[in-house]
Amino acid sequence: MDIVNTFATILARPDLWAGTLRFAAPLTLAALGGVISERSGVVNIAMEGMMLVGAFFAVLVGAATHDIVLATLASVLCGGLIATFHGVASIHLRANQIVSGMAINLFALGLTSFLMFRFYATSGTPSDIPALPDVNIPVINSIPFVGAVIGDLNSIVWVSILAVPVTWWFLFRTRIGLRIRAVGEHPRAADTLGVSVFRMRYLCVILSGLFSGLGGAYLALSVAHSFSDNMTSGAGFIALAAMIFGKWHPVGAFLACLLFGFGQSLGINLQGTGFPDQLVAATPYVLTVVALAGFVGRAVAPAADGVPYEVGE
Amino acid sequence: MTALVSPVVPETIPSATPYLQMRGITKAFGTLLANDHVDLTVRDREIHAVVGENGAGKTTLMNILYGLIHPDSGEIVIDGSPVRIRGPRDAIAVGIGMVHQHFQLVPVMTVAENVVLGQEPGGIVVDRRAAVRQVGELSERFGLVVDPTARVETLPVGVQQRVELLKILYRGSRLLVFDEPTAVLTPQETDELFEILRGLVAGGKTVILITHKLNEVMAISERVTVLRQGRNAGELETAKTSPAEIARAMVGREVLLRVERDEAHIGEERLRLDGLKANSDRQLPALDGIDLTIRSGEIVGIAGVSGNGQLELAEVIAGLRPVTDGHVFLGGEDVAHQTTAERRVHGLAYIPEDRQARGLVLPFDVKDNLILGSQSRPPFAQRGQRNSDAVDERAKELIQRYDIRPPDPEAPAQSLSGGNQQKVVVARELAENPKVLVAAEPARGLDVGATEFIHRQLIEQRDHGLAILLISSELDEIFSLSDSIAVIYRGHIVEVVPSAAADRERIGLLMAGGTIEGGTPSASQVAQAAAALANEPPGTPPVESAHQ
Amino acid sequence: MRMLAAGITPVLAVVLAIIVGGIVVLASGSNPITAYESMLVGAVGSPFDISETFISSIPLILAAYAVSFAFRSGLFNIGAEGQLYMGAIAATWVATTLSDWPGLPLIIVCIVAAMAAGGAWAGIAGWLKAKTGAHEVITTMMLSYVAIDISHWLLEAGPMTPANAFGTPESGPIPPQAAFPVILPSWILPNARLNASLFLTILAGLVFAWILWRTPLGYEIRAVGLNAKAAAYGGINVARRLVIAMVIAGAFAGLAGMVPVWVQMRLYDSFSPGYGYEAIAVALVGKNSAIGIFLAGLLYGAMIHGAVAMQANANISGFLVQILQALVLFFVGAEVLIRWFLRRGGFRALAEAAS
Repeated sequence: MDIVNTFATILARPDLWAGTLRFAAPLTLAALGGVISERSGVVNIAMEGMMLVGAFFAVLVGAATHDIVLATLASVLCGGLIATFHGVASIHLRANQIVSGMAINLFALGLTSFLMFRFYATSGTPSDIPALPDVNIPVINSIPFVGAVIGDLNSIVWVSILAVPVTWWFLFRTRIGLRIRAVGEHPRAADTLGVSVFRMRYLCVILSGLFSGLGGAYLALSVAHSFSDNMTSGAGFIALAAMIFGKWHPVGAFLACLLFGFGQSLGINLQGTGFPDQLVAATPYVLTVVALAGFVGRAVAPAADGVPYEVGE
Repeated sequence: MTALVSPVVPETIPSATPYLQMRGITKAFGTLLANDHVDLTVRDREIHAVVGENGAGKTTLMNILYGLIHPDSGEIVIDGSPVRIRGPRDAIAVGIGMVHQHFQLVPVMTVAENVVLGQEPGGIVVDRRAAVRQVGELSERFGLVVDPTARVETLPVGVQQRVELLKILYRGSRLLVFDEPTAVLTPQETDELFEILRGLVAGGKTVILITHKLNEVMAISERVTVLRQGRNAGELETAKTSPAEIARAMVGREVLLRVERDEAHIGEERLRLDGLKANSDRQLPALDGIDLTIRSGEIVGIAGVSGNGQLELAEVIAGLRPVTDGHVFLGGEDVAHQTTAERRVHGLAYIPEDRQARGLVLPFDVKDNLILGSQSRPPFAQRGQRNSDAVDERAKELIQRYDIRPPDPEAPAQSLSGGNQQKVVVARELAENPKVLVAAEPARGLDVGATEFIHRQLIEQRDHGLAILLISSELDEIFSLSDSIAVIYRGHIVEVVPSAAADRERIGLLMAGGTIEGGTPSASQVAQAAAALANEPPGTPPVESAHQ
Repeated sequence: MRMLAAGITPVLAVVLAIIVGGIVVLASGSNPITAYESMLVGAVGSPFDISETFISSIPLILAAYAVSFAFRSGLFNIGAEGQLYMGAIAATWVATTLSDWPGLPLIIVCIVAAMAAGGAWAGIAGWLKAKTGAHEVITTMMLSYVAIDISHWLLEAGPMTPANAFGTPESGPIPPQAAFPVILPSWILPNARLNASLFLTILAGLVFAWILWRTPLGYEIRAVGLNAKAAAYGGINVARRLVIAMVIAGAFAGLAGMVPVWVQMRLYDSFSPGYGYEAIAVALVGKNSAIGIFLAGLLYGAMIHGAVAMQANANISGFLVQILQALVLFFVGAEVLIRWFLRRGGFRALAEAAS
């Protein structure tokens, strides 16, 4: 009875739901990037590294310029830049894309921590870095409960939510989206019709870097307001899981991210209630496994996902 | 659909400059000269056949023409002016279109999406309504019946080929290249395709037909270019040549166009299928009560259009697909619910339809591939350990007996030619002295020499008392090897006839689902059968369709 | 020639990584020679450091066997970390519960418990894959997080938290008689901690290679990994082989989890600095062979241990090591690049052999 009451109280807390959206936002951005990349046929497990790089350079440029636009731009571009390495390795050099992705994750961890030591070894990152603005919605703000949930969310949370239909539209309605999906399913067919497989794949890999970079900026410039070693702590891998869980579809991936966000939020809200929050923290992961085994079934990746394309094979 | 294409006999229009010339095309892959100074001249509005064995360089030449491969030297001239083709985009721009042997279609997309891909109507957003409309109009204009909104993966191969054709017609190509287009078609569908080709030529198009089937060359082409080992081996006027002459040019020696075989000495029953039912991958009924008996010393050929249950039949017998109802008697014992491994112990061998995807573990070396299926049994496994000596010995013996090249037991299977890969499969399957062999497409993609070898092995084994179930989409192969022919249509064996008494036309019609009640089938029956075939996806539930 | 060819890519990858890493150090305003020198001295400069390098390497090597064994069956075991945690928890629980047992039986029971727990944890993912097709990348990763959360609970507020924990998340001590014997007695090398787990690691490598190459089971697992369709056609029960491969893989990881606990003689909350994740890199650099993984693990372990001295002596972030590890991995992955370098250098035959 006690447990039921505790849960009922927590479920009625707007904080729980606002937290769900907040935790889901960086995951959503990274997962959408992953969807785009893998739809074009490039396996991307490097979202973790791209987010980390985005987070660090957001702080570095933010500290130097005190300009939120420049800081955000820097993180997005650095995410894109490191994604380009993955692109070159997987598209031109036909490297194993999992190897390349792991290398980029390790490299990002090494580089950001190395530079962290170089620039901020003693003091930690400065506190006067700019912050990403919250969006205060006047009317909704005054509605009870709803206002507390969505009345005052960070701008990037809204961006992440809007990015879901935009990504869907991009992949499933536009000309370029059709070509991207064709390249991911049957690159040879696309090539024989004059669609450049390489160009589509580079575009998508770099886009995934931009998305992840923005996710990193959000973590650094809003959630933590600082940078620390390995601060993404697995968010990119959770995004990867969400992408597969969501069957390589923007909406599916978003729903999976919401589930993970809810789990994290629930864990935090349970702290101090005497409930073993360590075990509660594990529930979204258990749920994922159960859902995957039970009713999601075999997830089908794009047919050419992970297969390097060789001209004139 | 036949009604929409008028059977026009193309007029031969003499023209001063040929439409297409490829001169001195040379292309090497490593040390292999795939094309060695190859010339090809195609006149305007003709159907020009390019023939040669597998590996003769036909596909390389066409891929160069389409810009998929860049030649080391040589030039391409269209309408008298040299062109540079750096990629498919350039090829499309100069009016070249290609129907590839392995269809270049995105299975999960619709017909319309596949056709317009790369040249989509609309702006940033694809105008899908316009795409459907344009593809619909195009298919009507050329008599290529197909639903623009259908997902390609649900269409039978014959219809998928039409989608390929629509793709190049949508791009307004003038020169249409067909790479082995009839491999997947019934005799009737082939005739229809030829009608379509004639219609296209009458409408101003030029056609290059790549094939290795000589009867097709004779039936439709005006001129023939023969390639052998990457070089030109003759350019012939079809009207002034014979199949034997073309075959000689292709192979470089006299070839027997038929397999020698003695009368069968049929013994006891080895494999009996009784009311066998099974589902397709999409869980739709694929086999609907198959009854069939195969005895020692005979080859029973299964004739049918791909997708009518042949694949499922082979897999069910091999234990790779669950039986939903019925029995499989192997040497008198019902093995319907035994595992593949158990059936192998009971004397079942299986040459799978796709040696690379199923018959071999390509990265494994030859000797490991030669024990696949026996790896856990003595002498190759003893007390939980691998017996390397026995593996080496088996490899040595089989490599010698089947003349597998290179004779290196440690060569990875993927480094072998197609013919030698198939020898590895055949050698392995016959090595354990099986009682029953299921041979699915045993000669697919092999050249004349390798095909001869494989066919000889099958005949030899049959003469030694093996019971063989032969599944092939090549009617010629069925006719030349089988002692009796069973026709499969939508998961039913519709007829079993001794091959000596079998009539090609009749078998072809049965394959297309035609029924014959006294006398010859009417033209409308043929058309109906073909249309029915065209509109039904493979694996359509035979039970349900029976009520239609 | 084949052996040489197999080794050439990783060796050249290391050389390239050192060059590029040096450029990074240079660009950040430090002297790369000093950095590498202090790292090298820190890793192998004294017998004590060599012993510590081995200690850093052993869990990596064992966990890499876990990644690699699954990989041979075609599964990407991204969650060796969790299997390692389960192994550590099980071994610690057995050791602290049966603390009055004599040494040898206790050690053996602990090893068995670690391997069984790791194997069972990985086996869940294998079983789900075989039964329902659940993607192992997700299941192993999710189960990893679950295992880590379980260990947090056990050590912070659960049954394994000792009564006098003072709020530090840790288990009770491992009874001394359960310790692995130290290899070098203290009169040869004082304070050396390298223990008999090194022999276990070598044994594990032999078992890894023996199963894969000398048994029908290994043949079947490799066949499933390279072509599951062909394996099924050859009468192999693919589902069962997948489960077995994951269980064996998890057993290696479970053992990997026990080793660091048996160095510190207590299970701490964060006893693993991500062995299970770095092991993926080690497995890839070691090209999934027993000997390759052993050497790659030693290299990575040496870098990890050498980094400590480098950061202290040369004032360069120890995270340079992660950069180097990443570059090695990147160049191993981009073999085309290596082959190009070889060809440019005139080693054409070697370039072809390395492909």
